[in-house]
Amino acid sequence: MKSGNNNISESAGPTNAWYRCAVATALVGGIFSAIVCVFMLLNHGKSMIVDTEQEMRLLNLRADSRTQPENEQLLAQIRELDLQIRRQRFRSLDRSRMGGYLLLGGVVIALISLKVMSELKRELPAPRGGADKAEEQIRKAALARWAVTAGMVLLGLGSVFLALRPKIDFPAAGAAGTSLMSAEDANKAWPSFRGPGGSGISTHVNVPADWDGGTGKGILWKSKVPLPGHNSPVVWGDRVFLSGGDPNGLQVYCFDAASGALLWTGDVTRVAMKEDEEPFEPMEDTGFCASTVATDGRHVCAIFATGDVGCFDFNGRKIWEKSLGMPDSSYGYASSLAMYRNLLLIQYDQGGIEDGLSALIALDGFSGQVAWQTKRPVGNSWSSPIVAAIGEQVQVITCADPWVIAYEPAKGTELWRAECLAGDIAPSPIYSNGLVFAIEPYSKMVAIRADGRGDVTKTNVAWTMEDGGPDICSPLSNGELVFLLATEGLLSCHKVSDGTKLWEHDFLEYFQASPSLVGDKVYLLNEKGVMFIVQAGPQYKELAKCALGEECRASPAFADGRIFIRGVQNLYCIGNGG
Amino acid sequence: MRRSTCAITGIAVLLILCGLVRGVERFPPPDFESGHEMPSPTTPHPGQDIYEYIDVAMLLAALTLSSYLVLRKRSRRAIFALMVFSLLYFGFWREGCVCPIGATQNIVLSIFDAEYVVPITIAAFFLLPLVFTLFFARGFCAAVCPLGAIQDLVLCRPVVVPRWVESGLRVFAYVYLGAAVLFAATGSAFVICRYDPFISIFRLTGDLNILVLGGCLLLIGVFIGRPYCRFLCPYGVILRQFSRLSRRRVAITPDECIRCKLCEDACPFGAIQKPAAPWSDQDYGIAKKRLGFFLLVLPVLVLSGGWAGSSLKAVAARAHETVRLAERIYLEETGEVTDTTDASAAFRATGKEIEALYADASNIRAQFGLGGWFFGGFVGLVVGLKLIGLSVWRQRQDYEADRAGCLACGRCFEYCPREHVRLEKAKEVRT
Repeated sequence: MKSGNNNISESAGPTNAWYRCAVATALVGGIFSAIVCVFMLLNHGKSMIVDTEQEMRLLNLRADSRTQPENEQLLAQIRELDLQIRRQRFRSLDRSRMGGYLLLGGVVIALISLKVMSELKRELPAPRGGADKAEEQIRKAALARWAVTAGMVLLGLGSVFLALRPKIDFPAAGAAGTSLMSAEDANKAWPSFRGPGGSGISTHVNVPADWDGGTGKGILWKSKVPLPGHNSPVVWGDRVFLSGGDPNGLQVYCFDAASGALLWTGDVTRVAMKEDEEPFEPMEDTGFCASTVATDGRHVCAIFATGDVGCFDFNGRKIWEKSLGMPDSSYGYASSLAMYRNLLLIQYDQGGIEDGLSALIALDGFSGQVAWQTKRPVGNSWSSPIVAAIGEQVQVITCADPWVIAYEPAKGTELWRAECLAGDIAPSPIYSNGLVFAIEPYSKMVAIRADGRGDVTKTNVAWTMEDGGPDICSPLSNGELVFLLATEGLLSCHKVSDGTKLWEHDFLEYFQASPSLVGDKVYLLNEKGVMFIVQAGPQYKELAKCALGEECRASPAFADGRIFIRGVQNLYCIGNGG
Repeated sequence: MRRSTCAITGIAVLLILCGLVRGVERFPPPDFESGHEMPSPTTPHPGQDIYEYIDVAMLLAALTLSSYLVLRKRSRRAIFALMVFSLLYFGFWREGCVCPIGATQNIVLSIFDAEYVVPITIAAFFLLPLVFTLFFARGFCAAVCPLGAIQDLVLCRPVVVPRWVESGLRVFAYVYLGAAVLFAATGSAFVICRYDPFISIFRLTGDLNILVLGGCLLLIGVFIGRPYCRFLCPYGVILRQFSRLSRRRVAITPDECIRCKLCEDACPFGAIQKPAAPWSDQDYGIAKKRLGFFLLVLPVLVLSGGWAGSSLKAVAARAHETVRLAERIYLEETGEVTDTTDASAAFRATGKEIEALYADASNIRAQFGLGGWFFGGFVGLVVGLKLIGLSVWRQRQDYEADRAGCLACGRCFEYCPREHVRLEKAKEVRT
């Protein structure tokens, strides 16, 4: 204890040989420990670096192995490199362990020496005066009280600082539901096939109605899409997404909405074919990626005709991918994706009705895990599911032969079903004014009230219009009128209330893109890339006709002041300022 | 006869089956065509649990020996030797686990969680030092606790910590105890174990931050005696209270104090109390008024502490994994973060409702709100009682070891001339 006295040590002090020996030993122990410590820190620092050249090489080799799973040489290289990295890692651990022992030894030696030094140099006790004076005691007690108070104040200030930090209101968050894709955000964007709710209705009315691809009038930009596909563009904020594919690759693209620059390309791994499996050759009209991608504002997910699904974040980082297996589809899989909150909804209809292969699958957008899967008593279809807010409830509505079925989107529970369709169902349903409109190609349109439960075939079918129906294009409604567009170019207008046909007009052109509604105008894009803009009213009236100059099969996407159209080779952005 | 034959046959069949089971590998080996040789399977040796009972026996023996060395033998050297042994056994050999300090949390959790059963060895580790302290002072701190031992060993150049500084710093040990109880009671975390500063040293591996924390405490411990024990140890807080009630206690002198003052600087832990001079009537009157004031303030401190503690519920609840997960999911859902963690991805894979997770997190936060009242009230009570204690005059004629604060290290014994007389007499008796 340092007592401030000048008493001599019990021993001879620093001049003692033992003392000098202890000092020297302590120094050696200390320096040795310091050196070991430095080496251990270096070793630790080195082990913290993970992106070494070797590890990057291994990652690249692993990426290559996905595309060349049969390449034995590549696999051997991966194994060898992996072994080397592991050996290095374990060597580092061994060094660290050995360093720990050496450091402990050094510290123990230094400590013993220091102890010996302090023992050899110990001062004899030297009393300082008498008992504490009363004033001294009172002063010390006062100081101690202040110290305790200061401690309390410190704790109080710490508590205030911590209590004022932002916190999450769980009850409010729970009541609001998951806010990943708010209705407001989704309505502003064009998050999936045919926009919000799959209705084909643009929430923006300031979109252009006059452009010319030949002169470049109204064309803001035009960008080449690397791989072909018939899927439609999807827009969220300043990004435009679509997919492309051929026998050599399946890709997701992200374009900058402002400049048209291709921001990133995401590759989706195509699961290797089995040896005895015939090569997949999709129909030309369907191709590898007729399905439109879907986004929730954070993830963008794509499905391809091979059953491979990929999900990326907005920076192009692949979040997950999985294969649902090659779908058994007569013309090739073409149903587009839909999203509800964090769930990716896939209408995976395949085979015949009796095969029991069809299902509605919900994958978690974050992990790709199956959140739920509901079997569907239908055959293969090419229609896309829609997510519609009906009263207080959100429903996923699907069409296939022979059922129109609505599901509860969070759990996949069936809400209602109506047996009213037959054949190859490609048009997607729409919801408008309390009714779900479903199309049986070449045959009929059925309007079903969406507030039923169970089998509503006999109770909730409001009316059936049996004057034909489009085979590919989905219907469109403004709440009072329903517009149907046949592939051969016949546009017809019907009353929502009873299905009565008000008028029809034959464009004598071929259409594959579904019609869209912007304000009181209907946009109709034919295969030659000509957009017909007609009045959405009880009489036919053509308002404009704009040629793009490139063949188009995909439905357009609408954003604030812009239209995004995918041609067979290029993606176009049409704007008022072009 | 028939029954015994059946029993023998049954046992024999069981033994044969056991032998077969041992011979069958638990998982069939994959078919390698590359000439890879399967390593022979190893089975962990049963009976590892026996160490736990050995630990309890060692603890009991060490506590008994420590009490004997402190109270009867009064030998610092023997105490030091036992301390080194404890450091090697409980610290480096058993790697600092299980220890009575951390066992506090198991006991608390078993009280608040009916499904948690505290192992008997852990209960023994928690209770034995308390029982010994109740009868024989803090022999556990003196020579059994490995955390105390490692700090005691590095103490080379002790400096005096002013008593008022010590009074202020000691509050933090109570706060630490309160927080540890709160987190354990809510099933959130065993903070004492998680932030054990010396565990990385005992295990020669561990979290770098903890290693640095332990290194810093040891560096401070070169000059300030046992900083963790005095200012942080939550178990030490309990032992202090038990030591106040201790049937036998450490005495500096073996018989009578001759007030030679030689021992007044002997204790590096500031646990020797000097004789106290009587106060004047005026000072005594002021002290009485002050005492009355602090007695009145005490409920205010308890309530305000409780309120402050409960207002920390949102921050404190983050120690619970469910709340952390819910917060992470919320950030992911609102797009404030762009990736997932292993925990959030695993949660999503379960398909559970996010709203249910939020509800769970909200309930846990409410538990912290209630627990925060008790925690804050406890801290307020401690502060209030400390202020009251510092306003009371205690009559003291001799140099005495502080009943609560004395760690029974035995350093002061050899400073007492009466101890030397005793030793001489003992030597004479022996010869």
